[in-house]
Amino acid sequence: MRRRYAGAAVAAALIVAVCSIGTEAYLKLGTRVGERLITLRFNTLPVRYFITNRDVPGVSAAQLRDAASRAFASWAAVPDVRLSSEFVGFTGASPLSGDNANVLGFTTRTDLDRVLGSTSFTVDTITGEIIESDIFFNSAFTWSAAQAGEVGRQDIESIALHEIGHLLGLGHSMLGETELIGTARRVIATEAVMFPIAFSAGALNRTLRADDQAGIADIYGTDAFRTATGSIAGRVTKNGTGVVGAHVVAFNPASGQLIAGFTLSPDGTFVIGGLSPGTYALRVEPLDDGDVSSFLDSSLHIDVDFKPAFHDRLVTVPRGGTSRNVELKVVAK
Amino acid sequence: MIAIAAVALGLPACAAAQPYIGGTAPHAGSIEIGGGVIWTAGYDAGSRDATESPNTTTGGSPLTLFTSSSRVRPVTGVGAQAGVYLSSRVSVEGVFQYSKPSLVTTLGDDFENAAPLDAVGGLSSYLVGGSLLYHFGSGKVVPFVAGGASYLRQLDEANADVLTGNDVHAGGGVKVWFGSGESRVGLRIDAQVSSRSKSAGFEDKRRTLPVVGAGLVFLF
Repeated sequence: MRRRYAGAAVAAALIVAVCSIGTEAYLKLGTRVGERLITLRFNTLPVRYFITNRDVPGVSAAQLRDAASRAFASWAAVPDVRLSSEFVGFTGASPLSGDNANVLGFTTRTDLDRVLGSTSFTVDTITGEIIESDIFFNSAFTWSAAQAGEVGRQDIESIALHEIGHLLGLGHSMLGETELIGTARRVIATEAVMFPIAFSAGALNRTLRADDQAGIADIYGTDAFRTATGSIAGRVTKNGTGVVGAHVVAFNPASGQLIAGFTLSPDGTFVIGGLSPGTYALRVEPLDDGDVSSFLDSSLHIDVDFKPAFHDRLVTVPRGGTSRNVELKVVAK
Repeated sequence: MIAIAAVALGLPACAAAQPYIGGTAPHAGSIEIGGGVIWTAGYDAGSRDATESPNTTTGGSPLTLFTSSSRVRPVTGVGAQAGVYLSSRVSVEGVFQYSKPSLVTTLGDDFENAAPLDAVGGLSSYLVGGSLLYHFGSGKVVPFVAGGASYLRQLDEANADVLTGNDVHAGGGVKVWFGSGESRVGLRIDAQVSSRSKSAGFEDKRRTLPVVGAGLVFLF
């Protein structure tokens, strides 16, 4: 069985996750089979892709090819990840074409005035295998392929890096802080390429962070990754009841790395995976730096009525194992 | 015959009656064991902020999500040693120390106003090694200096993270002997400086810590 998903618009956003799975750190895209959630992923490598043969001001099709190639290479370079890609050629087909070919290209969507790009999927809903994934970049915006970026223009490589993260099966991260400017949100800072809202035009965001790396390794990690890293599992509770939609951040005071996960079930359970062995401090916060629908399935009853808080215990992550039974207690605002 | 026998039997009796003045013990081959409490100083375990990369079009500095400052609290544990005298003034001993220090990370200055708090983690610390001691005199109050090396092993409370290193220590102290005779009980107080190649914390560096011990010793 195959089903087609499409991204939707959010404020100044890139793409909305189709169905988010919160297992093992990060958010992954998934499909539900009965009670099971199955991670979306490419089972056959390399990921073969085409580039739509259309130039836009500031970025030619060849420059988009080069930017996409570098972005794919960044994801493939994550340690202990088995991932590869191959540029097949230019095509006259536009993204979202439903032709079983992965196509990246520009499309003009003036109706999506806050969407820079979007990724869509055709998946096998039984196995979670991605059959086709297309990325469109909205040529209603102004773009740049300049190495150092250009003031007032969106950097194509930065946005491609984010969208290719989706193409590979990742959802959004909430490791970022925003401020409301009118009805839109502006990013103050972020520690994940997969944060749903892009930096302002002209800024570069081409470097994968620890959270991005943990996420991709969770999907495409080798056995070496699983034996070299560990995880933290626990619950977020408010008055003894599980909290849904809490964002739990693991901070390594030795490395400074931030890796996060969400609680996605009524009992408030979470798992943060891909953590280097060591001691971590934990922080929990509500989903307050973007539309909830940017991150999680809208059918979930997300609780945002609690104060950010730290956990009063340090948690040690074992190599290849899980530190369990961590309970983070929060109180209403 | 009677006179000879009386002399022969009398010599030990005379020797036993002679008061101990510390001239014969300890001597090469004397054994000393002891145990007591060991206080180890705390130390700075590192500070690092949780930061996020800035939107370079609006600002150039990383955003501090929150700050962290860690330390290991001073701890009192237990220790034991067993030694043998190589001469009346020099002895070697094996030492063992165990303690349960706490690693504390102060989290604060949160960007979204999470209340600051101390996050605590428990540790178990084991130290096994040896020392060479030189004693100044052999009376009731005997100052000494000591130096040696040890193997250090520290584990978190879940035994998930194991840290191993070495310690080089030097210091001195005093033994106060009670009673008299070759077998004696005494009080031992010593202070050392312990330089440790590894120790629990978030900065991988050698740390030098004061260590103070007090306990009972038995000489025989």
